[in-house]
Amino acid sequence: MKPEDLDRIFASAGTEYHLEPELLDRISAAILPGLRPVRPMPPARVIVAGLLLLCLTVGVAGASIFGMYGIRKLSGAESAAIFAVVGLLACLAASQTAAEMAPGSRRLVSPAVLAVAGSLALIAVAAVLFGGYAIDGFVQQGVPCLRAGLLHALPAAGGTWLILRRGMAVNRTAAGVAAGTLAGLAGVTMLELHCANLRAIHVMAWHVAVVPLSAGAGALLAGALTFRERSAARPS
Amino acid sequence: MHPDADLEQLMAAYQKGDSAAAAALIERVSPRLHRFFLVQAVSRRDADDLLQETWLRIHQARHTYRPGEPVLPWLYAIARHIRVDHYRKARRTALREQQVEVLPEAPASIMGSTAGGRTDRGPDLEALLGALPESQREVIAMLKVSGMSLEEVARATSSSVGSVKQKAHRAYEKLRGLLRDGATA
Repeated sequence: MKPEDLDRIFASAGTEYHLEPELLDRISAAILPGLRPVRPMPPARVIVAGLLLLCLTVGVAGASIFGMYGIRKLSGAESAAIFAVVGLLACLAASQTAAEMAPGSRRLVSPAVLAVAGSLALIAVAAVLFGGYAIDGFVQQGVPCLRAGLLHALPAAGGTWLILRRGMAVNRTAAGVAAGTLAGLAGVTMLELHCANLRAIHVMAWHVAVVPLSAGAGALLAGALTFRERSAARPS
Repeated sequence: MHPDADLEQLMAAYQKGDSAAAAALIERVSPRLHRFFLVQAVSRRDADDLLQETWLRIHQARHTYRPGEPVLPWLYAIARHIRVDHYRKARRTALREQQVEVLPEAPASIMGSTAGGRTDRGPDLEALLGALPESQREVIAMLKVSGMSLEEVARATSSSVGSVKQKAHRAYEKLRGLLRDGATA
């Protein structure tokens, strides 16, 4: 064989390949009898809109219950900047989650990259917008914020999981990370609306931490589900 | 017109419960999927099993195909998932089992073989691609054997077009090198 043969080999590879009719018959026999119509999944944009609405509802509802102190303290420009970035990241995370539901969908960015880059973008926005790096009361004020953010990420994650179940995620870990990132952003939305502590170090550490923690939890949960299913399918 | 343009219509009809469309889809796509499994260095028997498993999964997940989207990336993403699962299972089994006897099984690559429904077609593709790393082999199988576009392969493998291009380029370089070495030897 010569290097020139390569194209010829590939050109003939796609053609002239036949399967045994028995194999095709076996497949048809397993699928065709009792074939029922199914309703295709809604278009990706409908799922994205649903996911965004869910996360916005969780964030706003939580902040309404606990008080919108944060948004009152933010200037118009600060609000616009921070919510524009959170909104953009939420759109990307929702698109990613919708893409993970259908095999062979176009992916804009890997979910893990989105979780890390999104967290860094939020840190950068907080560093630019807010000042204050004093660490007095850093942990005492931070832990309740982190807890509140994660608690609000939970219902968002639950709702996202219900939507995700309608599809088929071929890469469950990636789907878990995408859904976790989106849920984490719902938590961040609630914190930005609610928390009046605008110290840069507080926002960068305790608010933003909700995103990677939720994404990590999503990955772990997806991994655990996959492991459980594989263990159940394994012959004893 | 692209030869696979009607696959989308067949898939949409399959979703609507049209048995004839489903049968046509099985007949059209199965040889390609089987070939895809075979070039991933699995035995013919395993390729048969993987093909059947893939169709069962396709059937279960047929509602996740969005009409108007390309069909091949959807099908190959599922097939790829089944193959990866199979690979993991096989590795786990191999770790647990102690081989006591080598069973005589016909290798997937036979020069110009007519075995198992293949026709005589000169140099063997499976043997050629066997020299490539798994990720490159997969990309070449989709691009060159299944005739998918770069964009379709990127969708099926959840990667970018740039990454697919790079893998295909490296694979081609390696294959050319191997053929050159073989020709001079």
